[in-house]
Amino acid sequence: MSLRKLISIWLFVVSVVIAGMGFWAIATQAQIGYWTMAGSLLIISLTCYASGIHHYVTKKNRKSFLMLFYGSVVLTVAALSIYIPSVVDLRPWEIFARIPDHFFFSMFMVVIGVLSSYLSFRPFYDYKKEGAQYGAYYLLHISIFFTLLPLFIIIFNIITRGMGGITWEFLTEDIVRMGEDGGVYPAILGTLAMISLTAVIVLPLGVGTAIYLAEYARKGLAVRVIRTAVNILQGTPSIVHGLFGYAFFVLIVFNGQKSLLAGALTLAVLTLPIVTRSAEEALNAVPGDLRDASLALGATKWQTIKKVVLPPSLPGVLTGTVLGLGRAAGETAPIMFTAVYFSGAGTPSSLFRPIQALPYHLLSLYRLVGYRDVEGQAWATALLLLIIVLGINITAIMVREKYRQRF
Amino acid sequence: MIRKLKELFKEEQSCQRIEMPIDKKMLVEDLDLWYGKTKALKNINIELEENKVTAIIGPSGCGKSTLLRCLNRMNDTIPSVRVEGKVWLDGYNIYDEVTDCVDIRRKVGMVFQKPNPFPFSIENNIYYGCQVNGIDVDKGGVVERSLKQAALWDEVKDRLDENALSLSGGQQQRLCIARALAIEPDVILMDEPCSALDPIATAKIEDLIDELKEYYTVIIVTHNMQQAARVSDYTAYMYLGELIEFGETTQIFENPQEENTERYITGRFG
Ligand SMILES: Nc1ncnc2c1ncn2[C@@H]1O[C@H](COP(=O)(O)OP(=O)(O)O)[C@@H](O)[C@H]1O
Ligand SMILES: [Mg+2]
Repeated sequence: MSLRKLISIWLFVVSVVIAGMGFWAIATQAQIGYWTMAGSLLIISLTCYASGIHHYVTKKNRKSFLMLFYGSVVLTVAALSIYIPSVVDLRPWEIFARIPDHFFFSMFMVVIGVLSSYLSFRPFYDYKKEGAQYGAYYLLHISIFFTLLPLFIIIFNIITRGMGGITWEFLTEDIVRMGEDGGVYPAILGTLAMISLTAVIVLPLGVGTAIYLAEYARKGLAVRVIRTAVNILQGTPSIVHGLFGYAFFVLIVFNGQKSLLAGALTLAVLTLPIVTRSAEEALNAVPGDLRDASLALGATKWQTIKKVVLPPSLPGVLTGTVLGLGRAAGETAPIMFTAVYFSGAGTPSSLFRPIQALPYHLLSLYRLVGYRDVEGQAWATALLLLIIVLGINITAIMVREKYRQRF
Repeated sequence: MIRKLKELFKEEQSCQRIEMPIDKKMLVEDLDLWYGKTKALKNINIELEENKVTAIIGPSGCGKSTLLRCLNRMNDTIPSVRVEGKVWLDGYNIYDEVTDCVDIRRKVGMVFQKPNPFPFSIENNIYYGCQVNGIDVDKGGVVERSLKQAALWDEVKDRLDENALSLSGGQQQRLCIARALAIEPDVILMDEPCSALDPIATAKIEDLIDELKEYYTVIIVTHNMQQAARVSDYTAYMYLGELIEFGETTQIFENPQEENTERYITGRFG
């Protein structure tokens, strides 16, 4: 192995380690001192100088000045950061925050570490375009990693903290002593009943709207108005849906009584845009050729929709619906005014009676933390909710992959 | 309720009828067509002979497909289209207010440029037309007859329940022809049926067209003049939305009356 490759690998390893240290320091709020940071950056910049000089001497490759230049930039950053005050006060700019210097030092380590590890590919491939390409792929992978990291941290956190709380008792009993004991059996049944009912309500409405938009409506003003309305509905915060459900379904339709049906209707309004949109997309994905073929055989428009357009788009419609339901299952705001009690509702027995549901149970327990010993139960509830929602989404994706239609 | 009344009212208007000239299947009379504000067909008059093959040729964009789609009212599916004039089929005007597009399309079948089988099994593709039109026939019988007429039977008889999309392009196009034949139309319209196919598949379809004219009136759009010369008995030459010349194929190719036709046929433009 040539010296050039050794230097490149050394630069890569060092930069990754330094970036990792910086990241770890940010995550744990460990205090990185000036000399740790400056020392790290010094190693990087010296390696860059070595790489650049070696290249220039052996290959007379002018592009290797890139490394010398970069090494100087790193060195300058390290040198100038001594002037960073120990606490940067942002209050004069009306931002009420104070940033300690070690935060900047850790940031420099992360940024310069990632940049240098990217650049280390270029001398390795002799400053060819190939080096830039590998470096770019590497950066992409890093960014994917940073995107997925929070997800894994959340899931890992919830699993480790919630596992212990999931016991047979937790799954089969009602709340005891404000959630300190007992379990969430009525809330599980309540959530399942609620999303099933929501599905029954939203599916015909959403698919009907989508069929109208995709097949019947002339592409004019009316369609644009309906589509905009659907989009606005989708952008509306769920708490607004909750208040609407309370004002309309609970107060006007059901005489002030919270109920399973009122909650499901509210959730149906919430998920309607998701279902309509995905159904419309699925319908539009069916090629126009097939519609023409059917019409040319003397089929009516409705026969064409029923027999040619709808069957291949059904998996798409169902996937969209299930994804919408996954969202509905985890929502608290739309149901808290319309359908749920924290305790006392029992297992769902009637469409017109209130229920208990997992997201609201979680919210209520969270409010009790500090007053009562409910934290374990709260984590367990969170885990259960996560399992249900992820389960729904995974089912949706599997259905889509299995029945995906290719034309 | 209101629609019912309207229908009753319409029944009372007597449907327009004319006596068809002998041996003619369809007559196009003073046909104009607009896409929005642009006029795509200008005063077309043409007489289509029964049990013969008529080819429509012309440079692309001259309105061949548009004219063809007028013959089974497929243009009704495009919202911006407006049609004026008359098209007579067996003495009835298909653009009469009382005629139902669905009936017209049962009698005038169509094969499209790009093969477009349904993503169903082969036999269900064939049977679809009978199903939607409520034609009560033996499924196996219809499938076999249509596939044999379309010269596809031997290739697919052992895999009738396979998805039609698993067939090759040429087979798919013959399946589409078989599908059109299954409901026993009188006229078959073909819009460049070979343009997406290789030469061998093309030759098969050309042979097929020759056999079909024994039972059906065939109208075929093609941009391939050799093909028109090979398969057709009559040829119509169109240019910029107008019908320039119409006559027996031999006359059009050997002795065109119009200079425009001659230039196109000898390949001096287009
Ligand atoms: N759906 C449509 N909307 C608007 N204009 C169209 C449409 N289809 C065809 N046209 C126009 O009508 C003319 C004739 O088209 P077409 O019948 O498809 O020609 P050809 O089949 O001879 O190539 C062309 O100028 C084309 O741009
Ligand atoms: Mg065309």
